[in-house]
Amino acid sequence: MPAAISPTMERPSAQPTAPALAVSAAGTAASAAARTIIDIDHVDFFYGPSQALHDVSLKLDEKKVTAFIGPSGCGKSTLLRCLNRMNDLIDGTRVAKGSIKIRGVDIHGPQVDVIELRKRVGMVFQKSNPFPKSIYDNITYGLRLQGVKDKSRLDAVVEKSLRGAALWDEVKDRLHTSGLGLSGGQQQRLCIARAIAVEPDIILMDEPCSALDPISTSKVEELIHELKKQFTIVIVTHNMQQAARCSDQTAFFYLGRLVEFADTRTIFMNPANPQTEAYVSGRFG
Amino acid sequence: MAPPSIPPPTTAPAEAAPTSAAPAGFLANKSRFRLFGLTLDGCIKVFFGGNAVVAVVVLSLITIFLFKEGGGFTGQNRANLEIYRRAGLEFVDFMRTQVAGHTALTRELSELRLRQFNRLTQEQKLPPAEANAALATFDKFSDQFDDAVVPLRRLVSDLTETATAIKDKFAINENLSIARQQLLAEGKAAEAEKIAVKPVDFEAELKPLLAALPDYQKAAADEAAKIAAALAAAPALPSPELQARLEKLKSSARAYVNGFPEVEKTLRSWDHRQPVPAARAFAAFVFGREWITQSFWQDWYGILPLLVGSLLVSLAALCLAVPLGIGAAIYVNQLASPREQRLIKPGIEFIAAIPSVVLGFFGIAVLGETLRWLSQQSWLSWVPGFPYSERLNVLTAGCLLALIAVPTIFTLAEDALNNVPRAFKEASFALGASRLQTILKIIVPASLSGIISAVLLGLGRVVGETMVVLLCAGNRIALPDFTAGLSVLTQPVHTMTGIIAQEMGEVPHASIHYRALFMVGLVLFFLSLLINWLAQKIVRRYRIAIG
Ligand SMILES: Nc1ncnc2c1ncn2[C@@H]1O[C@H](COP(=O)(O)OP(=O)(O)OP(=O)(O)O)[C@@H](O)[C@H]1O
Ligand SMILES: [Mg+2]
Repeated sequence: MPAAISPTMERPSAQPTAPALAVSAAGTAASAAARTIIDIDHVDFFYGPSQALHDVSLKLDEKKVTAFIGPSGCGKSTLLRCLNRMNDLIDGTRVAKGSIKIRGVDIHGPQVDVIELRKRVGMVFQKSNPFPKSIYDNITYGLRLQGVKDKSRLDAVVEKSLRGAALWDEVKDRLHTSGLGLSGGQQQRLCIARAIAVEPDIILMDEPCSALDPISTSKVEELIHELKKQFTIVIVTHNMQQAARCSDQTAFFYLGRLVEFADTRTIFMNPANPQTEAYVSGRFG
Repeated sequence: MAPPSIPPPTTAPAEAAPTSAAPAGFLANKSRFRLFGLTLDGCIKVFFGGNAVVAVVVLSLITIFLFKEGGGFTGQNRANLEIYRRAGLEFVDFMRTQVAGHTALTRELSELRLRQFNRLTQEQKLPPAEANAALATFDKFSDQFDDAVVPLRRLVSDLTETATAIKDKFAINENLSIARQQLLAEGKAAEAEKIAVKPVDFEAELKPLLAALPDYQKAAADEAAKIAAALAAAPALPSPELQARLEKLKSSARAYVNGFPEVEKTLRSWDHRQPVPAARAFAAFVFGREWITQSFWQDWYGILPLLVGSLLVSLAALCLAVPLGIGAAIYVNQLASPREQRLIKPGIEFIAAIPSVVLGFFGIAVLGETLRWLSQQSWLSWVPGFPYSERLNVLTAGCLLALIAVPTIFTLAEDALNNVPRAFKEASFALGASRLQTILKIIVPASLSGIISAVLLGLGRVVGETMVVLLCAGNRIALPDFTAGLSVLTQPVHTMTGIIAQEMGEVPHASIHYRALFMVGLVLFFLSLLINWLAQKIVRRYRIAIG
């Protein structure tokens, strides 16, 4: 594969200093006024016998974008999937220690309905995965599950979500054609639209742009900027520029441990930990 | 495929410029293996290609053979129907149909009597003798009705003998001329001359038959009059339900009598010289409602009772196997723990290993008996079709065939479910769907075509199954009585596969019966072909949908 199609898409190894320059003004917006929405408290996580997360503690702010970065296999996806308990679908997984609270409620608590949790915490996957249904049915799927049948309300939600995902103009004439007929980037935005259609509080994104071309990627990034006004977003990315451009706060993981968590600007320009510095400047990872 | 803007790598050392000399045998084929001048690769190719060719050749040979053997059927059946007409059997059968119509009415009449009798003895607690006495007027009416047909029945039985005699004569002549031809073919002309073959003069032979027409008129008029008299004197039945049935019976009896002139017209216009078109001989097979062989009167080769029997048994099997197979597939694929999976999957697949004759044996010895016993329990009498008395019937065979279809349906449906990308499932859960919602709204629809083709292949498996139906379907060759509603499922039937297995061993080669069985085989063959073709078509569409 050619290495030089787009310098901005590069792993940080190519341009060690670029991320720091690209840090957005948004990164500085973190203020003391922000309220914690997700409270991860000393979490140990196991896949059967093997431990994937070691004593991770993290407080994420409401209506902020938080980026999880770190080398492959360090547990970013694992932690993300803990937040809506998607790991429950894998046999033998467990949170052995610690707790995860969303708006102060322990998500592993006995009264918690995991279905309610997932309605509040939406997810966008690395590989776009629209259902083999029409665009319209993809977006209304979540609402229909909740028993919404009113056609006019569904229509309104479809338009609002597609507009929210910056896809409306491209697909408004073919809402009833298959979602699989869209391009990769459109499919990913369809998945985002599908996630926001149920109006969650939090949206988890696991490398949402890793399969997209630069233009689709920048569209999704713009979208994240917009979505932040309404939703709390947690995004996993391997793209340092993306983390720098989109996020307000960044958490750096290494070997299943949280190494450093701070404002994005701090992480990229003035990291406290030498490992973080080495990673964001592309010297390893 | 680097874009042109990228400069080529400049790592090649400069001194590598001259071409290095190749060692001896460099790049040459080192394998010395040769068989008939073929390398090892060539041999392997021929071996596998040969196998594929054998499969194709065998399939086409089978097709050709089926067509060749079945092909003569229409011609032979035409001859069969022609002699039916020439010898006047057809003529007699017109009258016989009229007698049969009367018999059906009498049967309904005695059914009514039985009902009424049961009412009297069970509901009003009358002793049987008193109940019989109470039914005396009804019996009188019934007897009167019964007697109406006696003259006609006698006439038909006389004419039957006449017609049979003509047919026998023809058959004897036919045999003689065959023998003669054989002798001639062997060059024994003198001996052949000794066999005198006198062609049957149908015109003359049929005279007594046709002369019976006035007798028929008299018998029919007599019958009509007696029925009218009986109906006028019909007593009323106390219960409204039975009375309604009686009224219905009366009106069908009137309709029956009104049909007499039509019969007479047919008899008058009947002409033994009229040829039987080939299309009719073929239609007599495809739409024929009777399969009667080695009859003293007339053989009929109609596939309908067998086809309907096969389809009925297969549908009954599918109705049981589809929910079981698909349900099990969904459970194993989506809900079961790995341990359960390890237990259930081989368990179901093991059913496929049971020889079907063993299943049939089990069906006769255990299942048929148990089901009949169950049907006769009073707490189950609400089930449609219960109670029944035939141990071997559609239901028994269907249950066992379902057992045969379940592994096919299960395995293929499970594959189809497995092919649904995991990402769909995750996306659904992430949107707050429950397990059941995910299964019903995402996984099953996404694998629907795979599931449908699994069902079709299960159907194909069941339609072609022989041993179980031969042993357990009851083997009564008659169109099931669909007016009985769901209890059609408790009637014995015969099937296409069953009849071939049962009769093929005993028929003389190239006889009409032999060819008829091959025609049944052809129908079976095309039915299976159709089912498989549909299944493949659906699977192909499904691949595109997921792709
Ligand atoms: N289903 C699983 N079963 C067992 N171990 C798993 C499973 N999924 C992940 N792991 C292990 O958990 C650790 C963390 O994996 P995780 O997927 O969270 O990494 P990641 O940071 O998302 O990596 P990447 O950037 O490559 O996506 C890895 O060592 C991985 O091998
Ligand atoms: Mg990951």
